[in-house]
Amino acid sequence: MRLISIVFLLFLVVSSEGKSVYNDEPQKSFSVSGYVKDAATGEVLIAASVYIKELGSGTVTNPYGFYSIGLNKGSYTIGVSYIGYNTFEQILDLNSDLILNIELKPEARQLEEVVISSVKKNNNVSSLETGTSQLQIESIRRIPAFMGEVDVIKAIQLLPGVAVTSEGSSGFSVRGGASDQNLILLDEATVYNASHLIGFFSVFNNDAIKDAKLYKGDIPASAGGRLSSLLEVRMKDGNSKNFSATGGIGTISSRLTLEGPIINEKTSFLISGRRMYADIFLPLAKNKDLKNNKLHFYDLNAKVNHIINDNNRIFISGYAGRDVFKNEFAGMDYGNNTITLRWNHLFSKRLFSNFSFIRANYDYELGTQAERPDGFEWKSNLEDHSVKADFTYYLSPGNIIKFGAATTYHHFLPGSARGTGSESLFSEFILPDNFALEHGIYAMSENKIGKNLSIKYGLRTSIFQNVGKATVYNFDEAYNSIDSTVYESMDFYNSFSGLEPRLGITYMLGEFTSIKASYARTRQYIQLAQNSTAGTPLDIWFSASKNIKPQVSDQASLGLFRNFADNSIETSIEGYYKKMTNTIDFKDHAALLLNPKLEGETRIGESWSGGIEFLVTLNLNKLNGWVGYTLSRTERTIAEINDGKPYAAPYDKPHNISVVLNYPITKKLHAGANWVYSTGNPVTFPTGRYEILGAVLPIYSKRNAYRMPDYHRLDLSLTYSKMPKPGKKWQSEWNFSLYNAYGRHNAWAINFVQDENDPNITKAELTYLFSYIPSITYNFKF
Amino acid sequence: MKKTFLYLSFSLLLAFPIIQSCTEPYDIELDNSYARLIVYGEITTDTTAHVIRLTRSADYYYNLPAEGVSGAIVRINDGIREIALSESETEPGSYQTGADYYGVPGRSYSLTIDNVDINRDGAIEAYSASSELPFMAAPDSIRLNYARYPFFQGSEILLFAKDPAETEDFYAFKVVKNGIQQTDSLPEIIVQNDQLFNGNYTNGVSVQFLDDDKPGEKVSPGDTIVFEMFGITSEYYNFIVQAQTALFGSNPLFSGPPANVTTNLSNGALGFFAGVNVRRVGAVAP
Repeated sequence: MRLISIVFLLFLVVSSEGKSVYNDEPQKSFSVSGYVKDAATGEVLIAASVYIKELGSGTVTNPYGFYSIGLNKGSYTIGVSYIGYNTFEQILDLNSDLILNIELKPEARQLEEVVISSVKKNNNVSSLETGTSQLQIESIRRIPAFMGEVDVIKAIQLLPGVAVTSEGSSGFSVRGGASDQNLILLDEATVYNASHLIGFFSVFNNDAIKDAKLYKGDIPASAGGRLSSLLEVRMKDGNSKNFSATGGIGTISSRLTLEGPIINEKTSFLISGRRMYADIFLPLAKNKDLKNNKLHFYDLNAKVNHIINDNNRIFISGYAGRDVFKNEFAGMDYGNNTITLRWNHLFSKRLFSNFSFIRANYDYELGTQAERPDGFEWKSNLEDHSVKADFTYYLSPGNIIKFGAATTYHHFLPGSARGTGSESLFSEFILPDNFALEHGIYAMSENKIGKNLSIKYGLRTSIFQNVGKATVYNFDEAYNSIDSTVYESMDFYNSFSGLEPRLGITYMLGEFTSIKASYARTRQYIQLAQNSTAGTPLDIWFSASKNIKPQVSDQASLGLFRNFADNSIETSIEGYYKKMTNTIDFKDHAALLLNPKLEGETRIGESWSGGIEFLVTLNLNKLNGWVGYTLSRTERTIAEINDGKPYAAPYDKPHNISVVLNYPITKKLHAGANWVYSTGNPVTFPTGRYEILGAVLPIYSKRNAYRMPDYHRLDLSLTYSKMPKPGKKWQSEWNFSLYNAYGRHNAWAINFVQDENDPNITKAELTYLFSYIPSITYNFKF
Repeated sequence: MKKTFLYLSFSLLLAFPIIQSCTEPYDIELDNSYARLIVYGEITTDTTAHVIRLTRSADYYYNLPAEGVSGAIVRINDGIREIALSESETEPGSYQTGADYYGVPGRSYSLTIDNVDINRDGAIEAYSASSELPFMAAPDSIRLNYARYPFFQGSEILLFAKDPAETEDFYAFKVVKNGIQQTDSLPEIIVQNDQLFNGNYTNGVSVQFLDDDKPGEKVSPGDTIVFEMFGITSEYYNFIVQAQTALFGSNPLFSGPPANVTTNLSNGALGFFAGVNVRRVGAVAP
């Protein structure tokens, strides 16, 4: 820890010395600080733009809605803007520190004209972020959704640079990365498996969520542990003004969210539940054996926050979700649980801090129901406990220093199987637990230099330690296990550490155009033992160890951003190149479950990904949405796979287009449409065949030498909103959606089979999951 | 067991009426592949004419029965003596031992194949393979049990046997009804390793299945059922598991990248040569 402190101090000294260059006036400096909130609900607004007109610069609110700007004595015009809200402006005479809490009024829905304001809305151009997308829940709600279930992850999958792993999956690949290279956080807690029903729905209940932000490469130094992306999902804090309820009744699930103040505006709560009830359809099934099956999932989100005083706030939030499949013979259930305790503390009006304690857990179990000789149960569990401290120091407009540290204790129970009942033939089979510590410390600084140049630089140091008790297998060069080493409890028997520099530069070319460049190194110490493209809930996470080196990625990107028509059309072109080392793939016919020698199944090499992403975002008078196109390639080279020759990574989709549009036909009726197109996934097909006992066995091509057919799909939706009657709070809307509107049979799998009538004939067969799927959802709010 | 439960949970999902998948024919051109020698044969503990089948691989859309490879010199050596196999006159490519030949547990069997020119380049190629013939304890008994599952119903074969504690054992299971083999196609053979029950008594675990809906499999009272238990090597176990995986087909949830089924043949040939210990136990259907 002493080393950590020294690194910190060095950083701060360096950073603050850097500051003195443009902070050299002897004038006394004061701060304006406070929170930006929604005037109707009291929800804090994240990334609202706070702007000092006279200086031509400002800041954005942090994830807790807080902002602070250091200013010299004087008179200023402060402006605050946020999409979908009326802009706030006020003149300040600053001669002491000032607390200014600002409540923005939501733009009335009927007003469709663009509100022209003096406050800049070119944040996408001027910000120091490249490759990031912030999605507001309101805009996600208008996107046509599968089964009418509005879903953050499904919306993220429509962004350029993001590819879906397979039809219907909640997995996504960011800039060619694997789906386990995305760090998915719900109120800072890691969500290890973000999918319900093997991916058709994600674990995020839209009604409980305020905001989602995806970092596709320019991951801030405050986060680490995954190579490709960071998806930060934040829950609503709960309405602090009035009690309100939001809900929906859908074709497949229903939702209810209750929120409101507990003590004045100081304490508020939110509780939100969702249950999917596919099993209510089962009694309609023709096969009578299906009628007693259970098939459902649920999500429960809860949050309480309390404002102790101006300088202290606490938040407690939790999530619990589970999928349950059961019939009379066997059953399976799995889910995530998270809990986050947070304390926001202002050491001064300029030094904001947050301390978090986080617990995240993912587990599954499956087994037989009845007392039988093959009765068994199989369990696996992964649990994290983390502590984090994050500090932000607001020096002057455009100049911010952030630093902090985090430690996570990972506890893996990769799997245990045992017989159940007295009759069972199975012995107890337990894969030993694994323990590890993962630490990160970081410092970063954002500086505005002159009028046009902003830079952001940061350094993260990550440390990973394997901790006993553990049994580690030793492998020879042919990956055969030769022996094993047992480490005692609390024996720190292996560790890795490394620096992760992050850099971002934005250069403004006038008010509406900028060039941005960024570089980021990321390191990943835990990964998913997943061999298939979409994966199953049974896939387990395994850590770096003596046999598995951490994965490392270096990514550079360059972007041109330009806004048109008073920032109502935003365009960008971003190119990136990413080089990854210690890339993990698995040997042919790998056994990844209940295998104590899992590490011997891995094959290590390197990979690269490069691409160009085009994005046009429309925020016009009526028409809203975006059009994205990505041109990219991703390849892996691993000595023992494909004869050591490069092969397309599983999510390599050279062309990827997404069009998302919504349009108000009348004040009450909104139409939405999205269309996606992508090159088919790379795939290995047979080129030869041979016969064994009458069965035709394939001889395969080189790895991923073929492609699945191209994927494309159109979804449509129509939302009919009933305006609240004067004096009444009840609002409701009907949503009709049509998934895969032109009923394309998109290939989910392609298999090669023998003809039933003449087994000598072999043929290819395409499996598709959906033709078109209509659904109706009724949503209400009061 | 692992696989059974993956499939079971998967079939549970498919039971979900909305996520019912459909298939349709798909046209795709595939590249050509070069011809390889394909070898398949078992040396069992039964006293019988053992057959080693040599065929030629073909392009995937060949659509004809595999072509037998004639004129090869095929020998088997059990460490004590070497015998030459003779090619069948009726079935080219099938090479037989004498009718009195049988394998002995604990011995290692080597197969050598000579005088073959698979790539037709005029040069003669030689191939070889070897396999242990494993020991196996005899099963005690079987019992029949009528069972209904969500998508199929029929007679389960319940096995009573002891797995030896001191060895890692690999088994294959087949069933014969009234003298007719019901499960000799590759997908119907059931294989199992003792990873999760080493040294335990099986207590009547279900090991094979006669499906009422499959022609000839429905069991009537008085039918004679013979259960065949095979002791196989771990390599042969992997061969069968991988071949069954290839036949089952792949999907984005459970399947890793497809890969050629492993072989114990040398010199680029595919297939398998296996030593197999066979024990049988019978029952009459009640």
